[in-house]
Amino acid sequence: MRRQLRSRRAPAFPYGYRYRLDDQDEVNQNYLADEEEEAEEEARVMVVHDLEEEEEEEEKEEEEEEEEEGQGQPTSNALWQKLQIVNEHLWDPEKRMSLARTGQSWSLILVIYFFFYASLAAVITLCMYTLFLTISPYMPTFTERVKPPGVMIRPFAHSLNFNFNVSEPDTWQHYVISLNGFLQGYNDSLQEEMNVDCPPGQYFIQDGNEDEDKKACQFKRSFLKNCSGLEDPTFGYSTGQPCILLKMNRIVGFRPELGDPVKVSCKVQRGDENDIRSINYYPESASFDLRYYPYYGKLTHVNYTSPLVAMHFTDVVKNQAVPVQCQLKGKGIINDVINDRFVGHSQMDT
Amino acid sequence: GRPGSGWAAREARRDRSAGGGAPPDPPGDMLCTASENLPWANIARLLLFQKTPEIYSVELSGTEDVGKTDTGDGKEKYRGLKDKRLELKKNHQKEELKKEVDLEDHKLSIKELERKYGTNIVTGLSSTQAAELLARNGPNALTPPKETPEIVKFPQADGAILCWIAYGIQYFNDKSSSLDSVYLGCVLALVVILTGIFAYYQEAKSTNIMASFSKMIPQQALVIRDSEKKTVPAEQLVVGDIVEIKGGDKIPADIRLLSTQGCKVDNSSLTGNLTPSLRTHDNPLEAENPWNKMSTSPVGTATGMVINTGDRTIIGQIASLASGVGHEKTPIAIEIEHFVHIVAGVAVSIGILFFIIAVSMKYYVLDSIIFLIGIIVANVPEGLLATVTVTLSLTAKRMAKKNCLVKNLEAVETLGSTSIICSDKTGTLTQNRMTVAHLWFDNQIFVADTSEDHSNQVFDQSSGTWASLSKIITLCNRAEFRPGQESVPIMKKVVVGDASETALLKFSEVILGDVMEIRKRNRKVAEIPFNSTNKFQLSIHETDDPSDKRFLMVMKGAPERVLEKCSTIMVNGQEQPLDDSTAEAFHTAYMELGGLGERVLGFCHLYLPADKFPETYSFDVDTVNFPTSNLCFVGLLSMIDPPRSTVPDAVTKCRSAGIKVIMVTGDHPITAKAIAKSVGIISANSETVEDIAKRLNIPVEQVSKRDAKAAVVTGMELKDMSPEQLDELLTDYSEIVFARTSPQQKLIIVEGCQRQDAVVAVTGDGVNDSPALKKADIGIAMGIAGSDAAKNAADMVLLDDNFASIVTGVEEGRLIFDNLKKTIAYTLTKNIAELCPFLIYIIAGLPLPIGTITILFIDLGTDIIPSIALAYEKAESDIMNRKPRHKKKDRLVNAPLAIYSYLHIGLMQALGAFVVYFTVYAQEGFRPSALINLRVEWEKDSVNDLEDSYGQEWTQYQRKYLEWTGYTAFFVGIMIQQIADLIIRKTRRNSIFQQGLFRNKVIWVGIASQIIIALILSYGLGSVSALNFTMLRPQYWFVAVPHAILIWVYDEVRKLFIRLYPGSWWDKNMYY
Repeated sequence: MRRQLRSRRAPAFPYGYRYRLDDQDEVNQNYLADEEEEAEEEARVMVVHDLEEEEEEEEKEEEEEEEEEGQGQPTSNALWQKLQIVNEHLWDPEKRMSLARTGQSWSLILVIYFFFYASLAAVITLCMYTLFLTISPYMPTFTERVKPPGVMIRPFAHSLNFNFNVSEPDTWQHYVISLNGFLQGYNDSLQEEMNVDCPPGQYFIQDGNEDEDKKACQFKRSFLKNCSGLEDPTFGYSTGQPCILLKMNRIVGFRPELGDPVKVSCKVQRGDENDIRSINYYPESASFDLRYYPYYGKLTHVNYTSPLVAMHFTDVVKNQAVPVQCQLKGKGIINDVINDRFVGHSQMDT
Repeated sequence: GRPGSGWAAREARRDRSAGGGAPPDPPGDMLCTASENLPWANIARLLLFQKTPEIYSVELSGTEDVGKTDTGDGKEKYRGLKDKRLELKKNHQKEELKKEVDLEDHKLSIKELERKYGTNIVTGLSSTQAAELLARNGPNALTPPKETPEIVKFPQADGAILCWIAYGIQYFNDKSSSLDSVYLGCVLALVVILTGIFAYYQEAKSTNIMASFSKMIPQQALVIRDSEKKTVPAEQLVVGDIVEIKGGDKIPADIRLLSTQGCKVDNSSLTGNLTPSLRTHDNPLEAENPWNKMSTSPVGTATGMVINTGDRTIIGQIASLASGVGHEKTPIAIEIEHFVHIVAGVAVSIGILFFIIAVSMKYYVLDSIIFLIGIIVANVPEGLLATVTVTLSLTAKRMAKKNCLVKNLEAVETLGSTSIICSDKTGTLTQNRMTVAHLWFDNQIFVADTSEDHSNQVFDQSSGTWASLSKIITLCNRAEFRPGQESVPIMKKVVVGDASETALLKFSEVILGDVMEIRKRNRKVAEIPFNSTNKFQLSIHETDDPSDKRFLMVMKGAPERVLEKCSTIMVNGQEQPLDDSTAEAFHTAYMELGGLGERVLGFCHLYLPADKFPETYSFDVDTVNFPTSNLCFVGLLSMIDPPRSTVPDAVTKCRSAGIKVIMVTGDHPITAKAIAKSVGIISANSETVEDIAKRLNIPVEQVSKRDAKAAVVTGMELKDMSPEQLDELLTDYSEIVFARTSPQQKLIIVEGCQRQDAVVAVTGDGVNDSPALKKADIGIAMGIAGSDAAKNAADMVLLDDNFASIVTGVEEGRLIFDNLKKTIAYTLTKNIAELCPFLIYIIAGLPLPIGTITILFIDLGTDIIPSIALAYEKAESDIMNRKPRHKKKDRLVNAPLAIYSYLHIGLMQALGAFVVYFTVYAQEGFRPSALINLRVEWEKDSVNDLEDSYGQEWTQYQRKYLEWTGYTAFFVGIMIQQIADLIIRKTRRNSIFQQGLFRNKVIWVGIASQIIIALILSYGLGSVSALNFTMLRPQYWFVAVPHAILIWVYDEVRKLFIRLYPGSWWDKNMYY
């Protein structure tokens, strides 16, 4: 914009007259420029100083910048004068004014802004209070954004590629640590102590008030058999038969449709079906049992333990990338959302 | 300006004997003769052209040669300038000028000319030669002043590049990184390009208006080539072409006359109005040859050889010289630059501040750069350039309807901040035609109607004296209506004849009816035309009374000359001897009329006794075989170029608007003062120093200057003044008339005014006014009378040459300034609401509330039409009753505006939008407390089970989608509150209800557009992932409504306190 609105002075100056006019012009322009910069300075400083109450740091910053500018060219006389003007503007000892305002004026401004912002804060508090009144702490107002549930794999890794060399424990040790850590909460003793053993194959529905504490079903580590890390503390990584756990994301009130449990099925995404050869699922049903649903939210369903499905790749082709896609299958599960790799299915390369 | 006598017609008449003598010429006009049979020898004597180009160089380049080359008056006038400019003079440039203008051509014989230009005056150039020359010298057209379109550069341009770099680095680190910054970069680049194209388009459009308007070059020229007469476009003329010119043509290039036939040429637009009066026909400077391009309206025919084309013509050189005069930056450009400084200052300082904060908070530098871009984008009002341009061009259109054609869009506002108007007299303040204003007969002064249509002539027409006077007026007049204008109203008919005679002809036609018929009945038998030695015109007629066989001799002329020839005077139809008392009465009347600045003519007649002059008597005007003394004096008649009827009102309006109107004219001081008084430039009760001296009967020196409000300054006095004295003059007197000024002095006056920090408007029409027009803050050229050079130099063209149009322009200009303030306040407000999300995001680590692309959709989508709609807002109070704004104190964007927009309404908006944002997140499962410092986890691609406040787990894509919903919600929140902002910005002081909520319908169009665009973005484009919009639940559209109402109420309270306590602390700090 600035360029566009610049003076329309024509470039050609063929004759003598220009010198007079032009010189004067330049003087004018310099004058204008000074004036403008000053005004700008003022305006900026004004704005900044009013921001002060909120962001005091900013002002300091501003001043620092100014100082830096000054130190940059200390020899320049004009600049020095300008700095003095700015300085005088910042603090005028004669009239005892800072930024063209007296102390009284400043305090008036501070008081007024204080009240203004205080009342704004009150308004916002009121708004937020009303908002919270309309929101239940137990049940989110809308859950459609978080549905369909996503799945997450363990061991936790930053990428979805599992690369390791059986003979070099360093390459898979972190998987083992991750899985061990993750499964601490599933230790049989802990589960037995905290949670109830509820009947499989049906929803574990707990009626009653919203604010009543809910019981949670046990999901014992031992359910994972070979992948529980109890028998093989390396989860099969040391033998080249890695275990990978699948966890379905929690969603308050989510129930697999029609009472069919959500099943996990893994296959090779691209390439030879035979690259995997065999997968063992634990629990053997390869499904998330219905008794773990519905979830009642973290406030009341404190000890809820997410069900897991472990996949044991017992005979994977070595030294070759095998893209594996694991899908959740069940009514109401959408597993072909293109944008999201974690809704309904999970891919991994071994 | 031009003197009342109109166009300074120079005349080159070939046949002197035709018509029995030279026609009467107004004093300033010039007469030159060339012999028919000896074209060259005679012309050479008369056509000493070599001085002329230097006159132009004097007037426009102001170098030393002024004094040397001009004559008489001119020399003295320019002396003052010369001294000042001496030291700055550049010799080589003067020489260059001289070299460019070929001084020799008029001296060469035709043979030499033919040789020089390789042409033949009979056969002309050959087509191939012409084509060659055309290719070498370029077309015969003026190069328009170049304005290189500069690409508009906003910080986004840099932003776009930064984005791409950021993406590059991201991509380098992680091949799968998101394309967001690429999209952003593309959008920013697109914005830059689009705004650039838009600005260029607007510029081009206004240039086109001008191009279509320009009549600078005649379309066709009749040229002899290959021994044939051909019609070619004038652009294709080349040096050496032989052109024929008919009456009515414009001269297509600089030509040297070869032969003429009763051809007159009007050079006045080139020389300005002053020149003719300085010249006499025996002055060799009055060279008639060559003729210059753009001179107009020749009568008769002529043949000439083209000696210069295109930019090398005299006019081309003046045009390029005029473009050399520095043009002041327009006030609105300064204001907008100031505004850009503020915005850029805020944006960059906050941006850098938060960059530093971000880096010190251990954000990645790359992320910090992206924050920086976001902050800058949020802070820069991208749509504002387009808005301002559209707003200005809307006003320009509105003004064009009112006959102000604005060439330069920025000039629209300049007129509004104008504090001094230097107005030309002729044509602008006056009607530009001589009109009979007063009559004196029967010892009495009668007033004639000088209004535009003469409809109301009320003076007493029953006296016998009037019968005689009207007969003289009718008969002693050579002017005639051009035939074929029966249906045209009398005042609009075209007349062949000079200005005074035209005035008399129209006057008598209005009162007496068909003048031509009367003349036919009173056949003319002899005539002595007017010449400057005799100073009278005389004709002898038969009478229309068949029983009266006497001849009637009628005479008009300079009153004192006419009176000398009279021995009797007619009073009430009776002849009375002319005694001392009647002579005294005559002188009183003469002085009085002359004192009104009017041109006075005396009229007398004599019935030649039938015995001495029988019907067959042969009158011989050379020997004057009839009496020319002892005539009977009948009356006086005075003429003036009367002011336009709309002007006094307009001047009063300017006064009350605090605008000083200064008259600058080349005319005589008395005339100038009279017109100034009649239009109110010198108000009725103010006196000049001279007036006071006269009233008190004391010498001028003794009058205290403080008593005088008005001053009439002549060019002679002006040239002796130092700049300090001029400054003093300009500040001391509120009513100033500059008379007898040269165009050069006009420039000095303009500079003087500008030294007082005034925004100066200058009106002008001549080529020589163009430097002053350029120098002025706003140059206003006359559309009808103005020369093209003046129009080119001007920023605005008055299509009807009417001063009153300027007042309209002032009003529109002021309105646009006010409305731009509102537009900017509106636009600035949401910047805070766009900025806060970034600050909170960086400091509190919330998921980003609004994306950069979304911000652009506000700035360039929903906000554009509403901010343009504010341009249609009516004025809050009578803007013509306040002082013009001080260009250094009353800024477009002042501290209260910025503070109120940023820290009051802007902050309220931000809070309102945050409420919408929090509502969306809370209802989806993320309570505000859960959001704080969630940013890192939230943005991690590998985290696919992020827990919300309810223990639900979110995948990365689900979060992203929620984030976009948040963007949309924040966007809607801002949009809803911007509706309230738009409504409150309708007024700055008055309540909305005083202004009328529905008076400006465009505002509602704006609001509708805002809502519709938002709906389309959310529901129509919600599935396009690059735009980051989602379909928002309907209820979220209403969350911000209470905040919008709060904004409205708060602003009403502000306005109420401003109205209740004017001048209070509140007023000073809250009124923008």
